[in-house]
Amino acid sequence: MGLLDGLKAVLGMRAEADATRDADPDDLFGMSTAYVTMQADLGYEPTGDAALCFSAVDSTDFEDAVDDVATILEAGQVETGTQASFVQDDHGYDWVVLEDQNVEDLVTSIHFAADTLVESGFGSRLLAALFGFQKTNTPVYWVYSFRRGAYYPFAPTGSHERDNSAEFKLESVLDGELDLEANKEYWYPMWPDTPGTHPWE
Amino acid sequence: MQWQTDWGLRARMGITMFLLAALYLVFIGVLTLYFESLLLVVVMMGLFSFAQLFFSDKLALRSMGAREVSEDEYPDLHRAVSRLSQQADLPKPTVAVADMDVPNAFATGRSQKNATVAVTSGIMETLTQEELEGVLAHELAHIKNRDVMVMTIASFLSTIAFIIVRWGWLFGGGRDRRGGGVAVAIAISLVVWVVSFILIRTLSRYREFAADRGGALITGRPSALANALLKIDGRMDKIPEKDMRDQAEMNAFFIIPIKSGFIGKIARTHPSTEKRVERLRAIEQELERS
Repeated sequence: MGLLDGLKAVLGMRAEADATRDADPDDLFGMSTAYVTMQADLGYEPTGDAALCFSAVDSTDFEDAVDDVATILEAGQVETGTQASFVQDDHGYDWVVLEDQNVEDLVTSIHFAADTLVESGFGSRLLAALFGFQKTNTPVYWVYSFRRGAYYPFAPTGSHERDNSAEFKLESVLDGELDLEANKEYWYPMWPDTPGTHPWE
Repeated sequence: MQWQTDWGLRARMGITMFLLAALYLVFIGVLTLYFESLLLVVVMMGLFSFAQLFFSDKLALRSMGAREVSEDEYPDLHRAVSRLSQQADLPKPTVAVADMDVPNAFATGRSQKNATVAVTSGIMETLTQEELEGVLAHELAHIKNRDVMVMTIASFLSTIAFIIVRWGWLFGGGRDRRGGGVAVAIAISLVVWVVSFILIRTLSRYREFAADRGGALITGRPSALANALLKIDGRMDKIPEKDMRDQAEMNAFFIIPIKSGFIGKIARTHPSTEKRVERLRAIEQELERS
């Protein structure tokens, strides 16, 4: 923790400052090449799914911003063929779910959606972007944290358990190719509402 | 849109802490004039405070009868804490539950990594999921702002002043030496204790406002916390509190303190619910106006 963070904490402004700090989407693009390594070296195929998770704000401006995202993704669908849908999970978090067999298009669309929210001033509400992969029907995800500006692997098995060895493998092999979250305390799980489905389903 | 910073609150908090520090500096200066053995006392109290900081989380949890709960027992609670921590950019704290009808919540721990968020079973029954998230976010804001650490340090010399008021005569030594001096030191300590008490409670109230703001911005729904506060406040009066009086020292960390007979306006650790709701309403307006 830096001196400035300490001072912010003492003055009671750290919570506010960090909750409203803008998103850090810069390192998101690492996935547009990393998926090749996932396929070639690890045998994980992209599922063709990606999703953007964000928490809503109780304001009309925010609703407008989400409408903008929908418009932009609709326009993009003509060009890239990326299917977009909006869902809300059991815990009231919003997701933009994208489907496209082309991972690079998925990354671009996620970036577009995220950027639109950032531009409207709601970047701080972006939680994570998830990219789905699978090997023999076992799903794993690369989670990009907009709060931390880094990726981490998430391999859910059964109900609320993580396959640590799979995550370790992903971490070791993709280190250097993706900007990884070094502090594992920030590897937040994103559990699906029902086991065996995607976290956004 | 831009989030507004409440500079008035910052300034008031800064001034309170400055006054407290100034008071303590004068106090230390005066004490060194009167007590030679004082250094020992201060060192011992320092160690005590340090230990308190280290064990406060365990002590607080035990005194509330709260126990750590696993993800299997309370999946919804865990998931809410996890998502809110993610938004607050905080490692997920330990989650604890106290089996108690009084609706309440508190956070303990000296640092982000040693933090625990505890809720009573009563609060989970009373509030909706959204309101509970508002309360949890308020507690996470406390962790983020390191309130346990700040308040422990702020209270340290106040405790010493109290000890001198109570036991100062023991340090007097021979009556030929500074017999009168001790009386003066005790009188000064009394003044320091009273003034620091008021300042500490003022600081505590400001930090509650800060945690309300932080919490509201973490969830993005100031109304959720406002509704929760109103609901809990209503319930607190109706539920009998006989066994809760023992936990007076825990009050400072509660979301809403338990009312115990006479607490003057000045001695309140928390601002009144009306004032807190009023400020949350202001944030809600801010979100709409932009």
